[in-house]
Amino acid sequence: MKRYQYLPFILLLFAVISCHQKPKNGAPVVGFVDAFEDATIAQAKTGFEDALAKNGYSQQKGNIEIEYQNAQGSIPTLTQIVNKFVSEPVDLLATSTTLASVTASQKTKTIPIFMMVSPTPERAHLVDANGKAPANLFGTVEDLNYIDTSFLLIPKLLPKKNEQLVVGMIYNQSEPQSADAMQRIKELAGKLNISLIALPLNSSADAQLVTRSLLGKNIDAFFANPDNTVFSAFETILKACEERHVPIFTSEAGLVQRGAVAAFGADIYQWGYQSGLQAAQYLRTHKVFGLKPEMVKVRKRVYNAAVAKKYNINVPAGFEAVK
Amino acid sequence: MDLYLAALLQGLCFSGMAVGIYLSMKIFNIPDITTDGSYALGGVITGVLLIHAFPLYVTALIVLIAGAIAGAFTAFIHTKIRINALLAGILVMTALYSVNLTIAGRSNLPLIGTSSVFDLIRLTNEPTINSLIVIVIISAVVIITVGRSLKTDFGLAMRATGNSETMIRALGVNTDRMKIIGLAIANALTALSGFLITQQQGFADVNMGIGIVIIGLGSVIIGETLINWLRVTSIMLSLVLILAGAIIFQIVLAVTLDLGVNPNLLKAVTAILVLLIVGIPRLAFDRHDQV
Repeated sequence: MKRYQYLPFILLLFAVISCHQKPKNGAPVVGFVDAFEDATIAQAKTGFEDALAKNGYSQQKGNIEIEYQNAQGSIPTLTQIVNKFVSEPVDLLATSTTLASVTASQKTKTIPIFMMVSPTPERAHLVDANGKAPANLFGTVEDLNYIDTSFLLIPKLLPKKNEQLVVGMIYNQSEPQSADAMQRIKELAGKLNISLIALPLNSSADAQLVTRSLLGKNIDAFFANPDNTVFSAFETILKACEERHVPIFTSEAGLVQRGAVAAFGADIYQWGYQSGLQAAQYLRTHKVFGLKPEMVKVRKRVYNAAVAKKYNINVPAGFEAVK
Repeated sequence: MDLYLAALLQGLCFSGMAVGIYLSMKIFNIPDITTDGSYALGGVITGVLLIHAFPLYVTALIVLIAGAIAGAFTAFIHTKIRINALLAGILVMTALYSVNLTIAGRSNLPLIGTSSVFDLIRLTNEPTINSLIVIVIISAVVIITVGRSLKTDFGLAMRATGNSETMIRALGVNTDRMKIIGLAIANALTALSGFLITQQQGFADVNMGIGIVIIGLGSVIIGETLINWLRVTSIMLSLVLILAGAIIFQIVLAVTLDLGVNPNLLKAVTAILVLLIVGIPRLAFDRHDQV
């Protein structure tokens, strides 16, 4: 029976831990939820924090506290993170990527949620039968129109070799934006007499094989669409494409820094920054009057000078070089 | 406190899966990786049916049947086609990803304005407490049902199949059929966890099953530590301790988050805490045995 003696101590220890509460120093708390690690998407967090700092809210000044948590791709952890922030409760939630936004939206109806790197509530299926989005959803969202423009970069910039252009792309059929984007591009390619070869990819582990399979079909260019798996596996895709001398075009400006030729699309940093401005407004007024989900404002035509030179691509005026 | 109540709630939702893995791992000695697939299958079916306004009991029944079919498939591949049990589970889990994607039609299905088991009973106005009461009742029903089943002649035959297959076969029991039924039950319970978690978190996702077998195994191992430590021999009490393991595993995660650990160290700290929970009783054993 000696073993049972430990039980009271364990229960007491648990009781003490669970009753522990951090003393508040009066500064508002921002709960920042990231669904997974990614170099490109991390720029949104930087943008968000910079926007707050620009409006006078910085952790150095001590007038705000930003609690950052990353679920590292695990949904049970993501749920717990959101539970933690809702329980404290934080003054506002900042969510980066669709999954984080959906999880937060389903967990709280009162704490304002400032989304970034997320689709419109309609596209995320967060609207009710009357087409109404949750009242506490704010931040910056994106639809798919910009993909048309980014895809059109290819016939515009690429020197013509053959009668018909062949473009390869990878999409994740288990990601709504990715599958939707692929469908949209397929229709657009049809109108432009471009042959589109699309292969499915579910995890970055398979990227090597899928990319080389695409390259084996003698494509002229690779289009990297807005997909988290493409983001994760981008270096793999880049390496394989360079070996075959195939330029990469994309709709995400962040990927141009990493080696794509050119892009038209949302700047991830600016995406976070724009949501940060809304959050700053809320912190100032503590009212949501006038706040609603906004479309991304800053989209850029960017190119990578070194890569463009390598592929003999002449970039017209209006494009901004990345460092 | 709300964070720990939510963790408790989530742990209880995982109890079906923990019991399922206990059946396959401990009673049948089969490392069943189907879990990742059947859990997501339960979640996805729940999402689709609730969005189409199916009644809860119909949804739950279909979820259980679907999970059972998945488990039966794994057992069938293992017993009849003689494929290694681990590979059989991996094959079914891999195939289920495509099945789940096809059923869902997209990756993420938020539940907006749908019915929920957590709304069935209105004993209090506090949503978390109310949910807790519902899930405690469901967990109790699961444990009592499984516990009683394992005490029947049929249940004893199942347990014996894991303990000594050759002996029980010599006594006239069809061990292949036992495994098929056993894994069917185990995965039905796992799918039930998918059913509960989907409603608790408010959405289904085809990727929700990835790595979930780790949570199940962690729960069972913590539960087993408690079983050995308290020297439990009753099957009913063993199931209760497996449930406690599921709860403890989620609470460890909640503690890690509450400590404000650097996000990069989240998993390391969680692992260390679980190690402490599993390791300390063992050290206590050694000290005790040497006396």
